[in-house]
Amino acid sequence: MAEIVESGGGKGKGDGKVRAKKLSTRVDMTPMVDLGFLLITFFMLATTLGKPTSMTLNVPDKQEDKKEQETEPLKASKVLTIFLGRNDDVFLLDGVAADDDVAATTLKKVRFGTELRSGIFKAQTRVNSQFEKDEEGNLPFVVVIKPTVVSTYKNVVDILDEMAITKTKRYAMVDFLTPLEQELLGDRVVPRPEDEN
Amino acid sequence: MAKVRPKKHPPFMDMTAMTDVAFLLLTFFIMTATFKSQEAAEIDTPSSISAIKVPDDNIMMISIGTKGEVFFGVDAQPDRIAMLDNIATSKGLSFTDEQKKKFSNQASFGFPLAQLKGWLDLPGPEMGTVKQPGIPTDSTGISELADWVYAARQANSQLRIAIKGDNSAKFPAFKNVLANLQSQNINRFNLVTDSEEPPAGWKVEDK
Repeated sequence: MAEIVESGGGKGKGDGKVRAKKLSTRVDMTPMVDLGFLLITFFMLATTLGKPTSMTLNVPDKQEDKKEQETEPLKASKVLTIFLGRNDDVFLLDGVAADDDVAATTLKKVRFGTELRSGIFKAQTRVNSQFEKDEEGNLPFVVVIKPTVVSTYKNVVDILDEMAITKTKRYAMVDFLTPLEQELLGDRVVPRPEDEN
Repeated sequence: MAKVRPKKHPPFMDMTAMTDVAFLLLTFFIMTATFKSQEAAEIDTPSSISAIKVPDDNIMMISIGTKGEVFFGVDAQPDRIAMLDNIATSKGLSFTDEQKKKFSNQASFGFPLAQLKGWLDLPGPEMGTVKQPGIPTDSTGISELADWVYAARQANSQLRIAIKGDNSAKFPAFKNVLANLQSQNINRFNLVTDSEEPPAGWKVEDK
């Protein structure tokens, strides 16, 4: 590996002077570079670099003895209801209440992504052009999000993301289904044995 | 010096530049190293377009695993010990100093109180290999998550809550965690997500 190179000490006794032998060292640097790369790889794998981002979620206060607040009942035509089903399925019920006769035909199944987003945008433009802003200047479009027992956490985060992307300011997450909605969705939201993974 | 240098080892390429860069990279990684603490379970978070960063300190992390198990952790070591003390006094348990020390080295844990001591008594390396069942959060049955949260806030009132859930965790698990937190009057959360590019043309609105 390392060696000491002895350069010739001059041609014999050429000029009568005693010349000291010039020595130069040669070190092979390969092992050092190897170790260097090993350490780099170790540190690259053992550390975390990118900081994860966070999304805020606010929920209303849950009070023990809350008196039912008298609010104006929401017109079904202003509301888009989004049900989260199994296997990342999403069901949209646009502008129609669950007890309406046309509910079963209006219920649309979409997938996450452009399908869902265009569905939300369609409902949003319909409601915002049809109705006026309320006294506080808020747009009339409201979304009600209903996750079900077969939906996953990812679905919930994705739908909240869609709210941010479509700039829907008024939305509510409700975790129970009314009996009529239960009937409407039927088998789609009942847990099956294969859901338990 | 002889006029003609002996041509024994002709240098094809001088590698000095490469080693320089290698050591620069190494130094960079050493400086930015914050070692990953032992996580209780692999958690794959969903992605969102939100660009708000998770704050660095004073964080209480509630993690939800793939099967809905709940893990809990606080980032500062003294907070962990104080939290353990608080929960010990409120539940009438006691922990030895060694158990407390081992507890403070764990970033997060997921055991019902009954099993916690047993786990802390295991030798260090073994602690990481045990499969952790999660903290009970059932709103109808026993729920210990609310107690841990209360104990942690007693230890450090500045703590903020971050929820890190796995993609495949089912909604009822998340709902239980929320119910536990709401019972402690906590209504604002941070959900930890991976970053995602917002769709083209989307701009942040001024609120």
